[in-house]
Amino acid sequence: MAGGTTHSTAYDGVSYTRGGTVDRADVGVLVQSAADGDAAAWKSLVDGLGPLVWSVVRAHGLSDADAHEVYQTAWFRLAQHLGRIREPEKTGSWLASTARHECLKLIRASKRWTPTDDAQLLDRPSEDRTPEESVLDSEEAAAQTERVRRLWQEFEELGERCRQLLRVLISSPPPSYQEVSAALGIAVGSIGPMRQRCLRRLRARLEARGTI
Amino acid sequence: MSDMNDDFGDEPSDGTFTDEELGTGLLEEELRQAAAILDPVPTGLRQIAVDAFALHDLDARVAELTFDSLVDAIPVRGETDPPRMLTFRADEVTVDVEVTADGLIGQVLPPGPARIEVLNGPLAHARLTADDMGRFTGGAPPTGPFALRLRTGREVVVTEWLRA
Repeated sequence: MAGGTTHSTAYDGVSYTRGGTVDRADVGVLVQSAADGDAAAWKSLVDGLGPLVWSVVRAHGLSDADAHEVYQTAWFRLAQHLGRIREPEKTGSWLASTARHECLKLIRASKRWTPTDDAQLLDRPSEDRTPEESVLDSEEAAAQTERVRRLWQEFEELGERCRQLLRVLISSPPPSYQEVSAALGIAVGSIGPMRQRCLRRLRARLEARGTI
Repeated sequence: MSDMNDDFGDEPSDGTFTDEELGTGLLEEELRQAAAILDPVPTGLRQIAVDAFALHDLDARVAELTFDSLVDAIPVRGETDPPRMLTFRADEVTVDVEVTADGLIGQVLPPGPARIEVLNGPLAHARLTADDMGRFTGGAPPTGPFALRLRTGREVVVTEWLRA
């Protein structure tokens, strides 16, 4: 992403499709290759499915420390089960479901269900910048930054169910509904209508604040 | 339009998007960008997941978690911090583990000596030994995800990764 390129909308440059850096159709092949010892395939899996796993732990509102541990547990377990997974093409769902169950255990164990500290998240220090963040650093993108912050703030203030569902839906690349179902324990058929509802609500909030 | 619609395979496909569906789709995409900016996978964490490839070990059998007191036990009233009881099983080999504030206590069944590594991630581990009765103790409870790799005679068994 070039820093000098500004767009009128945040979604420019990202195809409006359910695809991404790792096509879900390739997941089964990558899992098989990794099981055969291909470290590059494993890396592709981490990059392609890592954001989904992260979105699951975020959706469950764990503390940072717990979120990190659940994320690791899911990947350690996948490494351990490589070559033994019955439906390799559904590894996204497998990871999402594993992460969800570990989240639920943690919540049960300690009731450490504290919401993410928004202020801390938004005031994250500048190290660890993603390319997207660097783009936002550029002067011409200042207004865009403000818009993104407002959008995120309104998102964080949505009700628990909407926040959970949307947090998983907006991982990159976009997850399949099967993966969302595994991540949150909700029926595939209810995801579409819930998604519409939650996005409508978010839009209404943004409109009320004059952000849209 | 129809190709876009195909990408939302789980939704009713009448071949078109309503304005509202288009609008929410764009909003979702914008939110996705925001998530990538404001709440990405932390870089260090991604690296740990990449390094986890080293944990891929086809020579070992995986002992699956068959009992977890956190999930399967009925809570005892008045007991505020009960020990975590775990049972792992790979065919005839069973590993019982109790995790307390003081450390690990466990037993391998059928009883017998075993060399045990407490794995704490792709790199770190501590060594324990199970006695002739298969009993073992570890000084400190694992922090973060852990797994036990047991060598009993010729066999290697690894317990499923778990956060203690």
